[in-house]
Amino acid sequence: MPRIPLVAVVDDDEAVRQALCDLLMVTGLACRTFESAPAFLGDAAARDCDCLITDVRMPGMSGIDLLERLRGDSSDLPAIVLTSVVDEHLRMRADALGALAWLPKPVTDDVLLGHLKSALEGGGLVWPDDPGT
Amino acid sequence: MSGSAGREPDIADLASESVIIFDTAGVIRYWNPASEALYGWPAMSMIGRGIDHLSDRTVDEGEHWRLLLQEGNWQGPASRRTPSGSQLAVDIRQYVRFNADGTARDVVEYGRRAQGTEQHGGGDWQIPDRLMAASWEMDVSGALPLIPALLEEKAAASPDPARLTTLGLEFVQAMRVLNVNERAARLVGGNRGPELMIGQSVAVFWPIEARAPLAELVIEAVTANDPGTTHRRQLPSDGILRDPVMSVWLPPDRETPDRVFVAANGTADDDRSYLYLRASEARYRKLVQFMPMAMWQVDASHMGKIYADIRGQGVEDFDAYLTEHPELIDFAGTSVSVTNVNRSAVQLFGAESPHDLMRHVDYLFTATPSALRKVMIGRFNGQQNWTDLIKVHTLDGRTLDVQFSVTYPKPPAELDVTIFGMIDVTERIQMETELRQLQADYTHAARISMLGELTTSIAHEVNQPLAAIVTNAETSLRWLSRDEPNVEKVKELTARIAASARRANEIVQRIRNMAAKREPERVALDLDEVAQEALLFVRDEVEVRAIRIATDFAKDLPKAMGDRVQLQQVLVNLLVNSAQALEVQNQGEREIRLATSRDADGRIVLTLRDTGPGMAEDHIDRVFEGFFTTKDNGMGIGLAICQSIIAEHGGSISASNHPDGGAQFRFAIPAHATDA
Repeated sequence: MPRIPLVAVVDDDEAVRQALCDLLMVTGLACRTFESAPAFLGDAAARDCDCLITDVRMPGMSGIDLLERLRGDSSDLPAIVLTSVVDEHLRMRADALGALAWLPKPVTDDVLLGHLKSALEGGGLVWPDDPGT
Repeated sequence: MSGSAGREPDIADLASESVIIFDTAGVIRYWNPASEALYGWPAMSMIGRGIDHLSDRTVDEGEHWRLLLQEGNWQGPASRRTPSGSQLAVDIRQYVRFNADGTARDVVEYGRRAQGTEQHGGGDWQIPDRLMAASWEMDVSGALPLIPALLEEKAAASPDPARLTTLGLEFVQAMRVLNVNERAARLVGGNRGPELMIGQSVAVFWPIEARAPLAELVIEAVTANDPGTTHRRQLPSDGILRDPVMSVWLPPDRETPDRVFVAANGTADDDRSYLYLRASEARYRKLVQFMPMAMWQVDASHMGKIYADIRGQGVEDFDAYLTEHPELIDFAGTSVSVTNVNRSAVQLFGAESPHDLMRHVDYLFTATPSALRKVMIGRFNGQQNWTDLIKVHTLDGRTLDVQFSVTYPKPPAELDVTIFGMIDVTERIQMETELRQLQADYTHAARISMLGELTTSIAHEVNQPLAAIVTNAETSLRWLSRDEPNVEKVKELTARIAASARRANEIVQRIRNMAAKREPERVALDLDEVAQEALLFVRDEVEVRAIRIATDFAKDLPKAMGDRVQLQQVLVNLLVNSAQALEVQNQGEREIRLATSRDADGRIVLTLRDTGPGMAEDHIDRVFEGFFTTKDNGMGIGLAICQSIIAEHGGSISASNHPDGGAQFRFAIPAHATDA
């Protein structure tokens, strides 16, 4: 049985974290949520993640700063930016830091899962079958 | 003055008209070439001679000279002696020139050969203008029907003097002016001139005390119906003429005596005061005439009597009385007349000449009818003046806002003259309206611009619940589309959707309230609550910058009086301001402390202090000025708006640096009355 991919969700908004986590779980993925970038960086379990979904504007440290830290630590963790910030400059920085997608909030599940699927499969992971069908 | 006196004779040398200058004693001081041509006397033989050298009527001339010096001018036909001994008929105009102190300086006489014998009016106009009689021609047809009642009352066993007086006054009221000579116009016509007196009621001009004797004498003449016979009576001095003799006679050849001639002879009362009065009156007229304020001279003397009667009936609340008798207001509007206006009034009302404005006063009140009522009440109540902002319609169809003021006659005044004044404030009011509009726009723009600065946070804040809703809904669908739908999970997700939707709605509501342009409300509100709401608004701004918020809300704080949204704006502004200041603070704690309290005056105080770098000392006094900013991207209007909002609340706001560092803002607003 293939390993169930683990996705990390970093967002300061609890409702958003919960909703994303539920979506990932119903899709058959495993999920861990973090309320801030430092919380993610400080958690050893985060290193086991296969993909990162992060918000940009967050107290303390932004999603972009988080990406920068990860790349600085030579991590090539696939990342998807999920944000309501409209800022070309930040988007270009995210691109440069190898973010796979910059998705505006709110996002539809098909779009998010589509990007997530290609991110995971690009890493050689197996996308789970739809558990209910 | 003395310089110009020297030049005048030179100019007069060229005049085609005879110009003679006498000193006050009647000695000739100047005699121009045209005078030589007219009279035949050379200048050299005339300078230094008295006026009696020109006239045979030395006695008349002496009396004439005295009156001339008193009254200032005279014009009419005269007879002058020529070197050949014959008499020359001339038309002359004499003017007294006065010194600044009101004393006569000299007399200038202009003369030309009489053009014909029938100079002064044709037909029945045969009042001998002998030595300054004030002469009148009056139409009595309207007054005739009153005669029987008057005679009856007079013939009664015990005549009622009050009723006789009333009937007499009505009689004079009913007589109309057909013609007057210059002297009559000068004595009682104000500066209207004869043309403007014609057609008006005699009562408008005739001194009140002399009206009853006039009525009696006219009735005597009319009843006798003996043209040619002069009916005379000596009258008591009336403040205008001293010991005047009044003469009344009928024109010849009239079947019904519908017109009478009236002449009043007498010297002007108190010649000294008359002289000074003349000078000061001339100055006054000039002053009034050129006053920048539009002025109306109004004769409401008959209303004074009506008011006295009403008061006599025991009426005290005139306002209530007028509600019961609205016809009295109409009566005042159509019977009180304007007797004089100045140049500014003509201009203000777009009239062609003063005559257009000299009619019944109702035209002044067409745009604000209630004002006439208030003017009347003011007089009834014995006020000295009354003023209000009213609208008026001008003759050329404009509507103006004017500051209207009324000066009532003082009760024992000899002259019953009411003065209306108007100052055009249309532009000022327009400007004020525009200014208010501008202010509202400015406040609105400031709100919007502040919203602009907050747009990122707002988008972020609104998008968070929306993102949660969308994802939760889609997750629900996935749960539902399974072979065995997880109803429990869907229930849970649906509850979360509802919660997020409510949150989104609250945010939208907050933004809408803030952006809405509306009249401020004044309600009792809890300033602590307002502060909490404002903190919600800037939560994102604050959190992104890792700023700690410390609150110290006073217990049992009374309610403040104010507008919730406006006060939120003030707080949001101050909070964003501090948050931005703290952004540059890399060392030490980033903290904003909010505290509420009461001051010694019972006002509710909010203090906001940050741990930022504080303000430059020389900026502190200027931070509330519009467009003052030290930020590259700031408009510098946030704090200016704060100040105007707090000022609108009757409060005050101040800025300072805290002794322990950081900027401190403090505002105080009044407490709600019942909580104070």
